[in-house]
Amino acid sequence: MKKLLSLALVSVLSLACLTGCSSSTEEAKTNPYKIGISQYGEHASLDNCREGFIQGLKDAGLVEGEDFVIDYQNAGFNDATTTQIAQNFSAQNVDIMCAIATPSATACYAAAEDKDIPVIFTAITDPVEAKLDKGNVTGTSDKLPIAAQLDLIRSLQPDDDTIGIIYTESEPNSVSAIREYKELAPDYGFAIEAIGITQQSQATQAADTLIAKGVDCFSNLTDNNVVGVLASILEKTDEAGIPVYGSEVEQVVLGCVASAGIEYFELGKQTGAMAVKVLKGEAKASEMPYETITEYGIYINNDAAAAFAVEIPADIAEKAIAVNAQ
Amino acid sequence: MNIVFDLCVSTLTQGLIYGLIAYGVYITYKILDFPDLTVDGSFPLGAAVTAVLLTSGADPFVTIPAAMIAGAVAGLATGIIHVKFNIRDLLSGIIVQTALFSINLKIGGSNLIIPREIDTIFTSGPVMALFGDLGLMYRKLIVALVIAVIIKIILDIYFKTKSGLLLRAVGDNSSLVTTLAKDSGNVKIVGLVIANALVAAAGCLVCHEQRAFSNTMGTGQVVFGLAAVIIGSTIFKRFGFVKGTTAAIVGAVIYKACIMIAITLGLDANLLNLVTAIMFLIILVMGNHNRKGKVKHHA
Repeated sequence: MKKLLSLALVSVLSLACLTGCSSSTEEAKTNPYKIGISQYGEHASLDNCREGFIQGLKDAGLVEGEDFVIDYQNAGFNDATTTQIAQNFSAQNVDIMCAIATPSATACYAAAEDKDIPVIFTAITDPVEAKLDKGNVTGTSDKLPIAAQLDLIRSLQPDDDTIGIIYTESEPNSVSAIREYKELAPDYGFAIEAIGITQQSQATQAADTLIAKGVDCFSNLTDNNVVGVLASILEKTDEAGIPVYGSEVEQVVLGCVASAGIEYFELGKQTGAMAVKVLKGEAKASEMPYETITEYGIYINNDAAAAFAVEIPADIAEKAIAVNAQ
Repeated sequence: MNIVFDLCVSTLTQGLIYGLIAYGVYITYKILDFPDLTVDGSFPLGAAVTAVLLTSGADPFVTIPAAMIAGAVAGLATGIIHVKFNIRDLLSGIIVQTALFSINLKIGGSNLIIPREIDTIFTSGPVMALFGDLGLMYRKLIVALVIAVIIKIILDIYFKTKSGLLLRAVGDNSSLVTTLAKDSGNVKIVGLVIANALVAAAGCLVCHEQRAFSNTMGTGQVVFGLAAVIIGSTIFKRFGFVKGTTAAIVGAVIYKACIMIAITLGLDANLLNLVTAIMFLIILVMGNHNRKGKVKHHA
């Protein structure tokens, strides 16, 4: 019994510290909407989502500090931390939780169950597979426009037939993208040579393997592990003379030839607009279907295109946005 | 006040659930002196088995023994590799952990969500019958507390049995065990089996609580378990009557409380780990300081 008592005592003591910390920050926040943003980790695309989200709120006429306050937390890519962040938001009774990337979204949704706090997610490829398509939850999907990407590659490389892709086996977004690539590729006359990796350190080895297999070009997903070492992959492909196609504008800036992809800042803005509707009571998250970006941009890095002697057809050059390499 | 109370409830729940990892690490690291890296793999293994069983309609309570059996097999593998094939302790754990990454992917995919229509142990019939009037948060705390206490009692009883005493002897002095005509290797294997069964049970509970399995959820769990055990044992160093299992679970709660405090402080989100590390350091330095005082006193 003594042991149990001591257990209870220590838990109470350690948690008592919380009282001191939290009470001071809670004053003066009465009127503005309290928004908890839980981001899986720091990462260019995810950061753009968050900045876009805040811009979306501002575009709706809300002023930060007056109309809304933000508690931003990132879990440093640790799943257990996403849980605690979500529970912290739930305890604070935030008006809405904004979850960026799948692990954060599932944690927020689980923590919000008791109080039924609405959850708005973004940067999730397949909300249906993540079971986030019903309940008091909605948001935006960052599903890649794969058909558009294949179409773009076909136009730029009319004579080629194999595309190499590196993806992480444990990233649900990448796994479903690869599935779609393999489904759609034959329609555009391509074969997909995909290599699954489990760690970032294997990405460059996979690139070597694809080059050795003689693929005609690479296409990138939004795979965190691969994008993280994209610069060193590009070094290898440049040397081998193989063009790489990206999936978002930042990859094209890095040296990919072109991309038909989404812009995460825009995606975040769209998410912010949805959040405003929920906050103002104009719509309920449970009744709003999740949204995908219908508009995608074509970005072309003319320097890279010239280096690989890729000819840009006039109709594509017309609607594409030129990006300069760094 | 409400906020603080809610935070206490959820932090305690997290500490108790993840505390099962601390029990496991207590057995391997503290008793057997075996740095077992299997944990990062056996934790998601328990969750993967649980997620698959739940989504295929199994009774929520069946998932706990099922996950524990899976974890036990993982521990058995590490034990056999270490003892029978003479591979170093760290490496045996790394081999099994690496293999489990693929096995977990095969079992549960990259992630698996349990929809709200499916009952977890926190919403299952018996729990609802007893505590149905309470909110989900409190039910989670009660169930986690009951499981943590039951396992603690069973472990404490086990440590007093012949097998349990041998286990403790192997860590302290394995040649003593050999002179007792017992194979210290087999005793180590038993310890690893029990430890990883407990770790998998933690994975099982986290899967119930989060309604999700993700292949990346094991990352950092060894570190968590070690920190919890060391924090617990440092704090209770002066209190000889406190059992190791109690120290481990209290350490786990303190670990989770430190993270929650860091989150609540509202600092730059990227400083979260730094703040947590500083809090651990303070706790450990305070623990060491106490010990020095005691030594002086005796001299």
